[in-house]
Amino acid sequence: MAWRWLGNPVLRVTLAERFQNTEINGAFGMLEIGRFNAHSCGGVSRRSFLRAGTALPFAIPTALATLSQPATAVASSPLKGRAKSVIFVWLWGAPSHIDTIDPKPDAVGDVRGPFATIPTRTPGLRFTELLPRLADQSRLFTVVRSHVTFSGGHPDAGTWGLTGFDEKPSPKANFGSIVAKHRGSRGTLPPYAMVGRGVPRDVVRKVEGCGGGPLGSVYDPFLLGCDESGHVEIPSLKLLDGLVPSRIHDRWALLETLDTVRREIDSDKSHWRQRRLQAYHLLTRPEARAALDLASEQPRVREAYGQTSFGQSCLLARRLVEAQVPYIHVNWSEYVEAVTPNTDFGWDTHVLNFDLLPDRLCPIFDRAFTALLSDLQDRRLLDSTLVVAIGEFGRTPRINRRASRDHWQRCYSSIWAGAGIEPGRVIGASDRNGEDPITSPVTPLMVGTTIAELAGLDTQARAEMQVLDGGAVIHELIG
Amino acid sequence: MRVREWLCGVLGVSLWAAMALAEPTRLTTDGRFKDAPTFIDPAGQEVAFVVQETPQLMRAMRLSIADHAVTALNPEWHKNEFEPAFSRDGLSIASVQSRGNLSMAIVVRGFPQGPEFELPPEGGFCGFRSPTFTPDGKHVYYSFADRDRQAIMAVNRQGGDKRTIIDGPGHANWPSFAPDGQQFVFGSTRHGNYEIYAAKPDGSDVRRLTDQPRQDIRPRYSPDGRRIVFTSGRDGNYEIYVMRADGTQPKRLTDNPERDDYACWHPDSRRIVYVSERNGRHDLYVLEADQ
Repeated sequence: MAWRWLGNPVLRVTLAERFQNTEINGAFGMLEIGRFNAHSCGGVSRRSFLRAGTALPFAIPTALATLSQPATAVASSPLKGRAKSVIFVWLWGAPSHIDTIDPKPDAVGDVRGPFATIPTRTPGLRFTELLPRLADQSRLFTVVRSHVTFSGGHPDAGTWGLTGFDEKPSPKANFGSIVAKHRGSRGTLPPYAMVGRGVPRDVVRKVEGCGGGPLGSVYDPFLLGCDESGHVEIPSLKLLDGLVPSRIHDRWALLETLDTVRREIDSDKSHWRQRRLQAYHLLTRPEARAALDLASEQPRVREAYGQTSFGQSCLLARRLVEAQVPYIHVNWSEYVEAVTPNTDFGWDTHVLNFDLLPDRLCPIFDRAFTALLSDLQDRRLLDSTLVVAIGEFGRTPRINRRASRDHWQRCYSSIWAGAGIEPGRVIGASDRNGEDPITSPVTPLMVGTTIAELAGLDTQARAEMQVLDGGAVIHELIG
Repeated sequence: MRVREWLCGVLGVSLWAAMALAEPTRLTTDGRFKDAPTFIDPAGQEVAFVVQETPQLMRAMRLSIADHAVTALNPEWHKNEFEPAFSRDGLSIASVQSRGNLSMAIVVRGFPQGPEFELPPEGGFCGFRSPTFTPDGKHVYYSFADRDRQAIMAVNRQGGDKRTIIDGPGHANWPSFAPDGQQFVFGSTRHGNYEIYAAKPDGSDVRRLTDQPRQDIRPRYSPDGRRIVFTSGRDGNYEIYVMRADGTQPKRLTDNPERDDYACWHPDSRRIVYVSERNGRHDLYVLEADQ
């Protein structure tokens, strides 16, 4: 059902399905709530084969690293190395901690905000009413409420949050690149996948800390896009002009075209040839294609995640876990901005925080993220998968002049689940107004170090790789 | 014989129950994220709403009630549009437009074409919400965030004579006028969470209509002025409710484990169009307000 061939089956990949339209029979006719209908979308085959250009460094290198380097041995202690895969959900733009998972109902009015709090399944833990599904599944995760970071601007705080270090003098390796180098690939897909529309950015510039940094560009992420209908794309690979499906079936024509590209961007023939073959194999192996094919999911599963780009991206992340991808970074959005032309509705709510959170941001997150945790649990994958949801900082406790909330680096929260982490707890605490932690602060470097530890990089492995220098694990989280 | 009579009785009761809880009728089928439906014309033939057309674009659309065809509200409009509102005669539209970095404007235009004015973004971040016309069409009320609060403001049809109608504390939003123009309802957090209030057009005589620990939001007067439809989270998730214009006799109209929101009245004051999230899909539905 999932595949239809257009031209040569080697290259024709159907990656998505559409929600089936429902016929409406008269004013009070029977309603058939839609189900997903597989169809050919042309995702990879029509669009993606192969434009290297400037995007290629993000597209191919992890695949190369995968196949050229042996995986390092994984630690065997109960929690070290417990995470066969990591899903890092990047809430780009920075959610308000107070309006989500660290509410302050007893604070003064210009801090508290208008949202009521609701109990969770964890005794003593309350969320705002904007996250009812998450509250109902709180036994699956633990909350950390004492994060601090060291920059109040998005791109630089993004690099802090993704590498544990300042972007200057040069960005360090992304947590995903570190795990990718350590673990290598256990399947046919690259070891560090980034699901989203592109490298996270604001309207000014991109985040520096998404790539391999000193580990090399071979550990940059492999970008995958996923729209609200489950169409999966590889945005960093563009279809060459004139390369229509009828031509794609001719492998030699493809290679010939690629050679043309190669002459444009790369004079290193052997290096280019290797990249070319790796990319080709990656995109044509049935196992890889299957991992990207959301059409093979049961409709109820697709529906549980919601018909949103973020929801289907979370579902894709679960499939990548099943395909043994060690590190999957899921972007909430490409841009931080909540309401700005040509951006995609991030969490940066300097205006309309109290409108956008209940109307859009929280309902989408609540549904998709809770579905992800429940789905992993139901498939017995949560015990071997670490899931982290976090933004680059929090938002001002005091409501700003525009009746909203600005950036706040001194305190924010995160959610951790799976990989042996004892769920149903709260680690750390913020003060009465959510301005500062009143327990030991958790830094971005500690986040990365804890992820690395759970993914199998113990102190010695980190030292040998020369990454996460000085980092400590969040002991309250993993014991 | 007795068994047959019993079966007929059971069947009759079941049919009655099914009719009493009649399912709403779905109007759109694409399932994409959408909000803010509102009727365009006095005859109730078309509904405007906003849909997530691309990851970057919330686009204003129009739905034909007769055949459920969906087209762009205006093919020439390609900016992010939010919360369209129409004058009573359907010849003017006001909406919020995304203009710059976290900066919005209110645009009032003739519909489908005609002269326009705008309330441009002020300096820095700027948040407008929920424009609406007064019944006589002479003023536009809207919500604007400034001085730590979100106030209800008003301007005349030329964009002048700007006045603050409902000030803080807290956030005030979603003004909606009674058909005689003698009062309007709105949501406000002045007492903590969002509740529904009524006031005279100059902002005086504010009266509280709801009092619930969860949010009561997006009130809209029925065109006949007798009732108010609104969204409430009082039963655990967002559902559509109606109450009399004085705030009495609240009644839940929807019962959906997912979200029902953004209710608007058909001009006949009998039907309500709203957005319902079902199985993760967002579509427009219509239901009878008197069921």
